[in-house]
Amino acid sequence: MKKKYSYLPLIFFFILVLFFARQLILKEDPSELPSVLLEKSLPKIKLDKLSDYKLFNKKNLLQLNEPSLVNVWSSWCAPCQIEHEFLMTMSRSNNIKIFGINYKDDKQDAIKVLKLNGNPFYAIGRDDDGTQAINLGVYGVPETFIIDASGNIRYRHVGPILEYDMNNTILPILNKIK
Amino acid sequence: MKFIIIASFFIFCSAYSANSQDSFQSNNVVAKELYKELRCLVCQNQSLLDSDAPLALDLKKLVITKLEDGESKDEIKLFLVERYGEFILLKPTFTIKNILLWFGPLIFVAFGFFITFRFFRKKNLVYSESSILTKHEKEKLEKILDRDLK
Repeated sequence: MKKKYSYLPLIFFFILVLFFARQLILKEDPSELPSVLLEKSLPKIKLDKLSDYKLFNKKNLLQLNEPSLVNVWSSWCAPCQIEHEFLMTMSRSNNIKIFGINYKDDKQDAIKVLKLNGNPFYAIGRDDDGTQAINLGVYGVPETFIIDASGNIRYRHVGPILEYDMNNTILPILNKIK
Repeated sequence: MKFIIIASFFIFCSAYSANSQDSFQSNNVVAKELYKELRCLVCQNQSLLDSDAPLALDLKKLVITKLEDGESKDEIKLFLVERYGEFILLKPTFTIKNILLWFGPLIFVAFGFFITFRFFRKKNLVYSESSILTKHEKEKLEKILDRDLK
């Protein structure tokens, strides 16, 4: 009778080990929020025009009738500058339409970045006070959403898209939902 | 490769930095209540009330605008939960999904009491049984004591 209970601490210990192992093996960043908008339609967003670049609204995204990316960026955000190169690659080499949301940025600075590093965006709009980003559940820049042909959000990437993310996450998902 | 290493340094460096603008400090009691119940998503263990991160200021502004538009507390909360998930609520909702979160600690305490109770009861049982001497043992004991006295 006594033996049966004496194993309990050991069992508890192994349950704990499993919990910790999960966190160690998966290497998830607990501060990264899962998107609640996944599988839902992209919310309506009202952006302002940036210079004479084509304005991004939901209509011209839906008109494409193909999967696309929505990228929230800013000229003052360092990770966005790193990501820029890969956005260029995707729009040039992979012919992916990227829609830009210029988040709380200075007009002139944003234009300067696009002139200097190239413009990866099919259409772009300014979110001057950050309210449109809140509408999308964005809590830091850069953030990128993968939108399918019918306008539903299929994936959310928090932080910059690096070469690894591009080749192992973004492009495979885009290919899958094509 | 080098690039990835350098770039990875930037992943965790948040594009936001705290700055102190108190321009949205509001006297509105409901707004303040809401600020206390909502999480700042940049500095994730602070409430909106405690936080001066730009996103927190934007969210506070949004709460004020919505209150002025006549929306209720629950409506505003729902709006934010629909966008940021339940994580934005500092106090988890009382639903089936969260039942383990609410009652988990209680279950563990109850289990602890159960184990402790069993452990001590058994120990007492063993102790009391062994303290009662059989007739044979008593005679033996008396003999030993008598021998020592002699």
